[in-house]
Amino acid sequence: MAGLSKGSLAALVALVVGALCLLLETTLPWLVTFPETLVVPATDWVGTGMTWLLQLIKPIARGFSALMSYPMEATNLVLGSSPWILVIAVVTAIGWMLGGVSMALMAVVGLGFVLASGYWAESMNTLSLVAVSVPLALIVGGGIGVLANEYPRFRKPVQAMLDIMQTVPTFAYLTPLLVLFGFGPVVGLIASAIYAAPPMARNVLLGLERIEPEIKEAAIMAGGTRLQQLFQVEIPSAATQILVGVNQCLMAALSMVIIAAVIGGFDDIGWEVLLTMRKAQFGPALMAGLVIVVFAVIIDRMSGTLAQDNRKRYDARVAWGILAVGVVASAVTWNSLPNPSEYSAFDDAVDAVDAGLSAFTTANWQWLAAVKNNVLYFGLLPLRIGLDEAVLPFTWGFQWTAQWSLGLFAVGAVTGLMLALRGQVTWGIMVLIFVGMLETGITNLPWPFVLVGVAALGWVASGRGLAVLSVGLLLTILLSGLWDRAMLSLYLSGAAVFACAIVGGGIGLLCAVSPMAWRITRPICDMLQTIPLFVFLIPVLMVFQIGEFSAFLAIIAYAIVPMIRYSRHGLTETPDEMIEAAIASGATTWQILRDVRAPYAAPTILLGLNQTILYAFAMLVIAALIGTTGLGQLIYLALGQADVGLGISAGAAMAILALIADRMVQGFAEERRKVLGL
Amino acid sequence: MSDKPQAAISCQNVWQVFGPNADSALAEALSVHSEPEAAAAALREKGLIAAVQDANFEVAEGELFVIMGLSGSGKSTLIRCISHLLHATNGEIRIDDENIVEATPARLIELRRKKLGMVFQHFGLFPHMSVIDNVAYPLRVQGMKRKARLEKAQKVIDLVGLGGREKHYPRELSGGQRQRVGIARSLVTDCSVWFLDEPFSALDPLIRRQLQDEFLQIQAELKTTIVFITHDINEALKLADRIAIMRDGKVVQIGTPSDIILNPVDDYVREFSKDVAKGRHAHVASVMEPGEGHVYGADDPGLRVDMTLDAALARCMDLYEPVPVRAEDGTLLGVVNPADLAAALHVEAG
Repeated sequence: MAGLSKGSLAALVALVVGALCLLLETTLPWLVTFPETLVVPATDWVGTGMTWLLQLIKPIARGFSALMSYPMEATNLVLGSSPWILVIAVVTAIGWMLGGVSMALMAVVGLGFVLASGYWAESMNTLSLVAVSVPLALIVGGGIGVLANEYPRFRKPVQAMLDIMQTVPTFAYLTPLLVLFGFGPVVGLIASAIYAAPPMARNVLLGLERIEPEIKEAAIMAGGTRLQQLFQVEIPSAATQILVGVNQCLMAALSMVIIAAVIGGFDDIGWEVLLTMRKAQFGPALMAGLVIVVFAVIIDRMSGTLAQDNRKRYDARVAWGILAVGVVASAVTWNSLPNPSEYSAFDDAVDAVDAGLSAFTTANWQWLAAVKNNVLYFGLLPLRIGLDEAVLPFTWGFQWTAQWSLGLFAVGAVTGLMLALRGQVTWGIMVLIFVGMLETGITNLPWPFVLVGVAALGWVASGRGLAVLSVGLLLTILLSGLWDRAMLSLYLSGAAVFACAIVGGGIGLLCAVSPMAWRITRPICDMLQTIPLFVFLIPVLMVFQIGEFSAFLAIIAYAIVPMIRYSRHGLTETPDEMIEAAIASGATTWQILRDVRAPYAAPTILLGLNQTILYAFAMLVIAALIGTTGLGQLIYLALGQADVGLGISAGAAMAILALIADRMVQGFAEERRKVLGL
Repeated sequence: MSDKPQAAISCQNVWQVFGPNADSALAEALSVHSEPEAAAAALREKGLIAAVQDANFEVAEGELFVIMGLSGSGKSTLIRCISHLLHATNGEIRIDDENIVEATPARLIELRRKKLGMVFQHFGLFPHMSVIDNVAYPLRVQGMKRKARLEKAQKVIDLVGLGGREKHYPRELSGGQRQRVGIARSLVTDCSVWFLDEPFSALDPLIRRQLQDEFLQIQAELKTTIVFITHDINEALKLADRIAIMRDGKVVQIGTPSDIILNPVDDYVREFSKDVAKGRHAHVASVMEPGEGHVYGADDPGLRVDMTLDAALARCMDLYEPVPVRAEDGTLLGVVNPADLAAALHVEAG
């Protein structure tokens, strides 16, 4: 044992436990399936406890709900009954002030599109929800950030709370909120405020922490009181970072408002998407989705310019002029304008899309089905239930037998041994473990093996603390009977993350090597990150219908962006001196990439992977709308039945998985950074 | 101490300890060990860092007191204790006989508004304010009306030679200009005690010399009490009335520039003065002996007490007998042996 490294020791322990479980599988079936008698009805307990708690604060919540309905109805009235000319003029004027001609033009064209699409009224409903929830989120988030900065004691718990708030899947908020606030738009409002507050809090705290100490000291030495220091010096100094927070807050609120449409009760644009999707009217769904994208892009780009250093100032007179034109035009056309909902410039286009789509799917039916089935039968299914069950004569063309298993293990053993002989002991053992997992399938993994494996990973990643934490958290999932669902979620998000890592890493690499590729990829990445999660479902649904494969694709589309960005960034940020030294040593471009850039980029790429994992989990729940079977589905079901216990437990299980993955990848990244002396 | 004239700043047994439970750990260490070194060692063993150890000194009114040391020697920590940006772990710091270690937060704010000014190494300018708003900020926090404070700020801006750049933002200025803003801001309240934390270290050598000269002019005009931090011995010698040299948290020597050059207490201090042209910094007074009872030769090259050694030596190049040192009016003040003059320039060799 003494000669083994920490990594190989951990891998060996996991391997032994896994092998033991497999060998004893037939004699001790409880090793694979956790005995049901031991399952604690935790979900019910949580439900009872939470219901009691919620009943307790319900009167306050309902009061708050009633209170919030005033500003909401007011903004709704203002936005909904203002002539559209005026609304467009106001947004255009703001656009001019923020970014000159290009922004103003974007506002006109974007809102013109919304108007012409016939979704104006729904869009204004959505916008008024955002308009009320964002100030709420800004105040709450900003307040938390400032307080955490003032009282360092609170910083750690606040950070932990923000982490949890961001890992708990969005749908999971909705169930308890539903019970608290009743059906209706206020739930969407509050959910989006809760979801949008953490990025604000984070950025405020970060901005305040990053101020140069000398600036703070200068404010103290000037004789400012604490409040003067804070509001006259520190907050303005941190303005750039805080405005980044405002931008993220806006985008999160918009995204959540649209997701909250699932609850219904508010005739907004998210509801429209959901409705048309359910009716399989993909043309209108796509159109409504595009409207959402237009809003997201306008809000993002406009608030994004706020956070730019040295942004240009534009002449305010032009903005007043635009406003004046808007007012005059509204007054002249008052009562003579048709209802904006009656515009339908794109109806033909929508019909054409529908027709084209069905023509496309019928024409390419075989090809599409082949893609889908190949990925399902040869990729996802074996990963899910293992080669021993997935390989059947009618999909693979032959029956998986014990000989096949033996052969597979033999190949694995030989490969592992060869690796071990070449000094790569850890990787050798890992190959064997992977072979075993492939044979068994993720959802059929014996639970003792999962616990030990996770503990081993946690131990290697950051030490005993993480190992204990991970096992403890997983045990709660195991005991509460959500294990099978959790493994299903793990499998689907794992598969998606794996695909993201390969494809995204590859694209990132390509972009690092070729500036041309990056010039093409970058706007696509920007676009994908701006689009609210919900919209990703539309195109995959259009082509591949409801099912796991569509969910898989939607998750990848959303979660691949950070992998691309971080890989490229990591691979291009190598210090010039290191590159020069490598060139001087006579290394080729690829050698530099492999020997210098890649190792140096490892921590950054790991951070990208971490983001990808979190994104995948976030999307997993949304993807439940189009057919997945894991925890996401449970959360979604709980929402429909207003089952607080189930909703919270499943949401917590999801958060636990995300949290463990997050800590582990961070641990590995930290270790790499230390090795590199960063 | 009470019979001495009142010092502007007086530090007694000042300690600054960083680490968990610094207060109690220091109190315990001091109760066990009477020697500061032993106490510091005990703290270090516990994993605490004594950044300032038992600092004792006084700064007279109108004096330019320079604290010098390498990075990590604790000089920046010490100046932050005196300006109470850090709360000293132990000791007494008196500014005009008021112990500021015990001052209430409200009193500290008042002191800073009326009495204390500070200049920072990296300028500490507020990025969101124009030059004139930066300079006027200490007046703004006092609630002075905008017109009045801008008028006053304008005067200080002119004093530091930044007229015409009032509307610029810090990012649009060069390093030297930024530090002029920092200096102007610290002066706008007519402070009587002025702290400068390595104000010129981040600047190019040429700009640095220019600002040093201007700084001396301002000081001659304002006559404030100054605590000046630097790691540059030449800067210290050029500016200081007295210099305190710090090493590893301890003040190892306090003295006039020529004291430091001619009588370094240890190798650390000697190392500093090695590269210094001594003849330019030490004065005749440092090698002069009392006039009474000393015989001196017939030659009188016209030495004065405040002459530098270089200048004095140039006048007695070919003399071997001791020569008189006289005041401006011709009265005899002392005697200098030319051999001592020469020897003083080669101190480090011996």
